[in-house]
Amino acid sequence: MFTALHFAIIAPFIAAIFVPILYKLFSRIHTGWFVLTVPTILFLYFLQYLPITANKETVTAVFDWIPSLGIHFTAYIDGLGLLFALLITGIGILVVLYSIYYLSKERESLHTFYTFLLMFMGAMLGVVLSDNLIVLYMFWEITSLSSFLLISYWYEREKSIYGALKSMIITVMGGFSMLVGFVLLYTMTGTFSIQETIAASSDIVSHHLFLPAMLTILLGALTKSAQFPFHIWLPDAMEAPTPVSAYLHSATMVKAGIYLVARLSPVFAISGEWFWLIAGFGITTLFWGSFSAVRQTDLKGILAFSTVSQLGMILSMLGVGAAALHFDSLDLENNVFVGATTAALFHLINHATFKGSLFMMVGIVDHETGTRDIRKLGGLMTIMPITFTIAVIGSFSMAGLPPFNGFLSKEMFFTAMVEITKFQLFNVDTYGVMFPAIAWVASIFTFIYSMVLVFKTFNGKFKPEKLDVKPHEAPFGMLLSPIILVSLVIVFGFFPNILSYTVIEPAMASILPSLLQEGEQFYVDIYFWHDWTPALYMTIGVISVGLFLYLGMKKWVGIYRLFPDNVSFNTLYDQAIVKGERLSEKIISSHMTGFIKDYLLYIFSFITAALVFTLFHKGAFVVETQDLAPISIYEVILAVVLIASVLTVMFTKSRLKAIIGLGVVGYTIALFFVIFRAPDLALTQLIIETVSVALFLLCFYHLPQIAKSLETIRFQLGNFIISLAVGTTITLIGLTANSNRLFESISGFFIENSYNEAGGKNMVNVILVDFRGFDTMLEILVLGIAAFGIFTMIKLRLEGKEQL
Amino acid sequence: MTNLMIWPILIPLLTGVVLLLAPKRVLFQRVLSSIAGVALIVLNIFILLSIHQDGILTLELGGWNPPFGIVLVGDMLAALLITATSIVSLPILLFSIYTIGKEREQFYFYAFYQFLITGVIGAFLTGDLFNLFVFFEVMLISSYILIVHGGTKKQLRESFKYVLVNVISSAFFVVGVAYLYAVTGTLNIAHLSERINSLDSPAPILTVIAVLFLIVFGLKGALFPLYFWLPASYTAPPFAIAAIFGALLTKVGIYSIFRTYSMIFTHDIGFTHQLLSILAALTMVIGIIGAIAHQDVKKILVYNVIVAVGFVLFGVSTMTEAGFIGAIYYVLHDMVIKGALFLLIGAMVIVAGTSHLKEMGGLIKHHPRMGWMFFTATMALVGVPPLSGFVGKLMLIQGGIEAGQYGIIAVMMVTSLLILYSMIRIFLKGFYGQIKLLKADQYGSSKGLLLPCAFLITVSALMGLGAESLYPFVESAAKTLLNPEIYIDAVLKE
Repeated sequence: MFTALHFAIIAPFIAAIFVPILYKLFSRIHTGWFVLTVPTILFLYFLQYLPITANKETVTAVFDWIPSLGIHFTAYIDGLGLLFALLITGIGILVVLYSIYYLSKERESLHTFYTFLLMFMGAMLGVVLSDNLIVLYMFWEITSLSSFLLISYWYEREKSIYGALKSMIITVMGGFSMLVGFVLLYTMTGTFSIQETIAASSDIVSHHLFLPAMLTILLGALTKSAQFPFHIWLPDAMEAPTPVSAYLHSATMVKAGIYLVARLSPVFAISGEWFWLIAGFGITTLFWGSFSAVRQTDLKGILAFSTVSQLGMILSMLGVGAAALHFDSLDLENNVFVGATTAALFHLINHATFKGSLFMMVGIVDHETGTRDIRKLGGLMTIMPITFTIAVIGSFSMAGLPPFNGFLSKEMFFTAMVEITKFQLFNVDTYGVMFPAIAWVASIFTFIYSMVLVFKTFNGKFKPEKLDVKPHEAPFGMLLSPIILVSLVIVFGFFPNILSYTVIEPAMASILPSLLQEGEQFYVDIYFWHDWTPALYMTIGVISVGLFLYLGMKKWVGIYRLFPDNVSFNTLYDQAIVKGERLSEKIISSHMTGFIKDYLLYIFSFITAALVFTLFHKGAFVVETQDLAPISIYEVILAVVLIASVLTVMFTKSRLKAIIGLGVVGYTIALFFVIFRAPDLALTQLIIETVSVALFLLCFYHLPQIAKSLETIRFQLGNFIISLAVGTTITLIGLTANSNRLFESISGFFIENSYNEAGGKNMVNVILVDFRGFDTMLEILVLGIAAFGIFTMIKLRLEGKEQL
Repeated sequence: MTNLMIWPILIPLLTGVVLLLAPKRVLFQRVLSSIAGVALIVLNIFILLSIHQDGILTLELGGWNPPFGIVLVGDMLAALLITATSIVSLPILLFSIYTIGKEREQFYFYAFYQFLITGVIGAFLTGDLFNLFVFFEVMLISSYILIVHGGTKKQLRESFKYVLVNVISSAFFVVGVAYLYAVTGTLNIAHLSERINSLDSPAPILTVIAVLFLIVFGLKGALFPLYFWLPASYTAPPFAIAAIFGALLTKVGIYSIFRTYSMIFTHDIGFTHQLLSILAALTMVIGIIGAIAHQDVKKILVYNVIVAVGFVLFGVSTMTEAGFIGAIYYVLHDMVIKGALFLLIGAMVIVAGTSHLKEMGGLIKHHPRMGWMFFTATMALVGVPPLSGFVGKLMLIQGGIEAGQYGIIAVMMVTSLLILYSMIRIFLKGFYGQIKLLKADQYGSSKGLLLPCAFLITVSALMGLGAESLYPFVESAAKTLLNPEIYIDAVLKE
């Protein structure tokens, strides 16, 4: 049944259809105001589910789409789905509001922008609220496509197109892989429903397709969430308008991969590979992202790599959280691995708040100064005080400084990383020490780029000479959304527990369902003061080392030059495309010569090779001679004549001789028919030969001289061998077929019934005009078409006219 | 037995004959062709529904019982294919009315078009291997003429190669029929199936003959390594003709392999179908290499035709129900979407005045509808749900997994990604990018060209969204192919 919940998912798509109409009808009102209603209504709608999921209840609504293939549009709301739905619609409201001031209604084609944006919103809701893997896949691909369209929104810019293509190739690659993974899961479980798959998960762990399914699905998640080394698309995606970057490329779409990992944790998380892959990719990405962010000079570039890094951090926490599944008796209150999952979700929310605000802040700076290059910026603190405040709060939260929400989740992250070293399974006790080490180093870089982001922009010397416009503070409408977000940064910092049992705990129940007995719940208690824990020491270390390095940046920034530009995954991608195209051209031009003689060579070689191989590989070749007639002297003579005349046709220098030779071939065949007692065929053949030779001679007069150079056909060994091989093969198979008459032929029927049933004494004639008269009718049609065709060919010449 | 089955052949045949009588009356030609096109759709859908209700329909021509006479057999596969043929050929006809030009219209263009459809539909409907050959000839002679129709230098050059390759393939077809007749003593498909499946230990000669037929049909269907004739000959004629070729002609070859490799040559699957699967995978690879190698939009699309051949035949090679269902969904989808894409590329080249990507750019500014249709069609081609390519691909993957062909699934998915790359490049460089042409400079107008495209894209979307309604038909077609007894019983009535 199609319920209100389904409608909520589809609503943005429906709204998207109306956007161009509204844009045309009300050209004086910014289209964004109409669009704003969609996320607002949806956000309020989803809020009403909060009490339901808080009680560990779920809502399922099934609408059959292709039930025969197990594809149902099943809308499913639980803690995890709802958390994301609120994030998507909530941030959606703020982004649309921001975009109204960011995108000028005079200059931009708003209808396409908002159509794509709404498509994305609907697709993203579909991803997080679908229980059916295939429907999830559908929405997943639509998010990739709408992201593609939004990145290339300014479609005349070379860079937008480049970024859009790259993002599409990488995310769709992941999507395809994921689809295969889903089908592999289906092969094991017989269902596309996620909940049913989870229920069957214990049975499939030892299945030989379990690991392939996991790997292929993870490729989808990792590419979407821009994990190392697939992160390369995200920085180039920054060509999109800033509201898009804030929405898709930091707060929502890139978290789809995280969502998928969280969603499928109950299926896969029990395996050691899962733990290592998720935690490993996460921690690597965390480091590489933050390390790379420091070298960026474009504000959006910094934020892009920062997003990459933060996504890695969330992922690594989900990976560590999987360790909780390996305890026989679990202390739900104090288990630090359960805490890692809490931290992952908490940080997911925090990241959306502070990163969203930072993107909007950067958009404002870009909008008001005309540049995002930190080498041109500086000293904006006094000119744009509100923007500066937003930047400080957002960045400090990102750096993990108190009292903001980022500090809390960073502390929880450190705790998890320290504790994982004590974990006894999957060789973690041997290699696990790298987790806290990498986490700590990465956090230092995070601290550094956060400082760069604020102070290179707002502090230092104001450089008006490098700016095209005179900067001033942004209008209030533009500031409103980031202000709301930084307020949330502070609110969640001081009162994190307003999220605990409303949003986070229900979502945890979706990720780690097996840990909860009926009626139990996780303990989610987030607080500032942890005592003097290792995590706190790590934070203090991050701040002091980070501060030191930030101040002395000039001295060590040279290390980035150690990474040459041409050895990177970006270069790999670019080269793959360039070289791939070039290689393809080479392969194609090497054999697609356009010469028919080459093509015939391919055909005949392949035919011979394939048939001869099959014939002997299968041991099919047999010749039985007992029921064959002896070869008479006439037949030998005829055969010699036949061969001689064929050779004449080929090698003669005179056209007349060739025609006569051809005639001889035909007449010889007619004589063969005579010997084989087929007088009708002989007669027919004679008539055809006579007519065709006569026609040839008639045309002869009109034909030009054979050019001298064409007169001799050079003997070519290769062609000779192939012709010989084709002939031999056909003969050998013919002999074999003749020796393998496995059934009685249906021709007996024709012999018996030609006269009695069809009233003709000549069986061949009866077959032609009665038993198989349909064939004959069509052959006449073929001749008719040919006649009209030749007439057309002669009469209709359009040379010189344009070719459409 | 019912006379119903002859009408899908007779309608285009008789229309073609009537059209031959009044070549200079262009309006009459257009109207009659269109009416015939609509009538054919209605009729074929009616046949489809009848078969769905009553099972396989047969018609014994001349009243001679099979296997002695020729029999037309409407099973579900044939019914689906003739329906798709008629649905695709109508919009292409409408497109040709706008683009083909008065001179061609006055030289029997519409008649040849009808004869081509006659051949295609007949090939799908016949239950006799030799009659299949004859319908191939009808289709081929029409295609020879359509390729050369207009007589431009390029057409003459390419049609020569096309004719030669096809004549050779036809010769081998006859040779194959002769071998098969020698071994089995019959030509009726149902009878062949019955006889070969009744053998306790199948003779290895049948495997050789199976390979020969694979080559013959592979030449028509552009299977690796027999595809090289296709790119040039499909780019030589006008777009309307290229569209009908791209949408239909290779499908007849594919269909013939499907039919023979599911119902007749199933005695040595380990060899024949393994060979087929390898060739299918190589077809995907070479097709996509060609699509990437070119910057000419026509060539890019034409090579994508080859890729699709690989996809469908991979499904056939799995010999699983899922694989067959996938192959059928995919082939139906491909007929529709390739038709749409050929027309869109045609419209694109007409407004841009060039088919080279480097000379195009920014077309979306003045042709947004064309651009978004192209984008949608590309997504359908790639298999983005809920458009039509998706269901087929999903089932192909499933069939492939059931058959244990993981390597080929990987090839297929990589190929899909590269299809996306090859086609989205057209979108990015042609419709996006710097505007290269001002409105005033544009060569042609897109008037009337987009409606046929819109029609086909709508069909594609409906095939995806309404996949459930299509499913019983496709499933029944696949079941018949996997259980030839159903077909045999219906034809031989034993």
